[in-house]
Amino acid sequence: MIDVQNLCKDYVLKAKEPGLRGAIRGLVRPEHKKIHAVSDLSFHIDDGEIVGFIGPNGAGKSTTIKMMSGILTPTKGCVLIDGRDISKHRKEVVRNIGVVFGQRSQLNWDLRLGESFELLKHIYQINQSDYDRTIDDLDSILGIREIIDKPVRQMSLGQRMKGDLVASMLHSPGVLFLDEPTIGLDVSAKYALRKFIKEINKTRRTTVILTTHDLGDIQELCERLIIINNGVMMEDGRLSEIVDRIAPYKTLVVEYYDESAPEHDRCEMTEHSGNVAKYRFIKNEVTAAEIIADLSRIKTIKDVSIEEAGIDDIIKIAYGQSG
Amino acid sequence: MRKACRELIHYLDVTVHMFKMAVMTVIEYPSNIAGWLISNPLQFIMGFAIIKFVVESFGEINGWNYGQLAFLYGLSVISHALSMIFFVQGWFMGYYVMEGDFDRYLTRPLGVMYQFFFTNINIVGITDLIPGVLVFIYGCVKSGVTVNLLFIVQIIVTLIGATLIRGGIYILLGSTSFHTRSAVDFGQYTQEIMDKTTMYPMSMYPESMQFILTYLIPIGWISFYPAASFLGINSRYAGMMIPFITLAVGVLVMLAAGAYFNMGLRKYESAGN
Repeated sequence: MIDVQNLCKDYVLKAKEPGLRGAIRGLVRPEHKKIHAVSDLSFHIDDGEIVGFIGPNGAGKSTTIKMMSGILTPTKGCVLIDGRDISKHRKEVVRNIGVVFGQRSQLNWDLRLGESFELLKHIYQINQSDYDRTIDDLDSILGIREIIDKPVRQMSLGQRMKGDLVASMLHSPGVLFLDEPTIGLDVSAKYALRKFIKEINKTRRTTVILTTHDLGDIQELCERLIIINNGVMMEDGRLSEIVDRIAPYKTLVVEYYDESAPEHDRCEMTEHSGNVAKYRFIKNEVTAAEIIADLSRIKTIKDVSIEEAGIDDIIKIAYGQSG
Repeated sequence: MRKACRELIHYLDVTVHMFKMAVMTVIEYPSNIAGWLISNPLQFIMGFAIIKFVVESFGEINGWNYGQLAFLYGLSVISHALSMIFFVQGWFMGYYVMEGDFDRYLTRPLGVMYQFFFTNINIVGITDLIPGVLVFIYGCVKSGVTVNLLFIVQIIVTLIGATLIRGGIYILLGSTSFHTRSAVDFGQYTQEIMDKTTMYPMSMYPESMQFILTYLIPIGWISFYPAASFLGINSRYAGMMIPFITLAVGVLVMLAAGAYFNMGLRKYESAGN
């Protein structure tokens, strides 16, 4: 159970002026500029949820996840994991979390993968039987035993990601944080990672919190989305609810036998090229069947299809709102 | 009390394991260690050869004869080597701060400063230990100190204190990176200063500098005061208690370093991605 209360993170930047004169002025009388990387974020995450943080680059996702995992100290507000403030009781609270950063490995570069696991076994005081059981468990999902004797420096990015996932789960944490885990992975590695996340969430009830730019990750994994932009929460809710709220429309694509296309008064023609016309309509106001019926009375229709508002639309709209 | 004991055992267990991993890493790249094994001892043997030359030309340095200088030099190099094994990362702390490498330590249930130094134990530092021990034993023989149990205990206490002083200074300098957010490699400068002040009798420097090196930057306690006491050479501070004062100074410097490090850690900003 995670409680985030009024979380803020400010950075102080020295404003730089151009040229040597500006540099000297900056030295003598520095102008400090406060950047609000994250402002006043509050939300609650229950055990066993999978929550996706999305937002454009520099939106504050990573900053948020780093405050939640104890890496950064919040300027204001707090993160409670199972009721305890992570920045005050770091050593105790982090025992129950696992962290994977897509762009940074926690594995020992020079040695075989197994040595990194052994070290974690000592750090987290995992007893041998639990350790063996966890490795067996994770092996069945990720096939980790195939690469356990390989030096980390010789691994592909996908293999290293598998290693990092196992490393983060060895101590069976209740919460797993993943910061852009699929970045740079190929299709099969992404598939393995998603399967892994779903599996540990189902069998171990691990709470998973991830940031991603990958639409596939969002569609496959995230029951709940938190959209952040400019350090402010834009949306928080189930994927389908967010879609309904900010993109409550569908698009009807109609193909005629010639290039003229009739208008319809209960929807908007968004595109018309060649024999194909696209009509956008609000889901609650009118049905596709009604529009098709009306149109076919005016003109013979060759073919129809319906496009749902995609996640990419949602993201574009959500990002655009404050952009 | 029992909790503290359990924690100590936990840290010892992790330390032993990290030490094993450090050895494995060195074995992984055997040609590296061959290089260090030649260049590092050579550096200190040459340094000592210069002292030998100076002493032979002038008779002595500031009242210290050849054997006594060997004793001082050896003592200094041994604590230098120990500080290289355990604390050399302090020199490069700025790079770790800039690269966001503290993230990993912060998400593990152990002290951050402990992890920073002990996940990076530098076994290669042993190559500095060899010339140090050789010159020190030579100095003991030449200067005719009585080697008994008390002497050995005092030497061990001195070395622990001296290593802590050096390590603490590396940490203090390295921790400035948290505030400046720049990566400055203090290693070379620190090493220059430490060499010049711990390998030769500090009494050859002006009073004001001696004052600074005794009270403000307590480098004098690393080798000069202990060596003077062991050898019965007249100095500002002398006596049986000196090794324990060195240890106390070491603990104090380390505590200050730890506090400054943790203060910096709160300002740690990781690295963007």
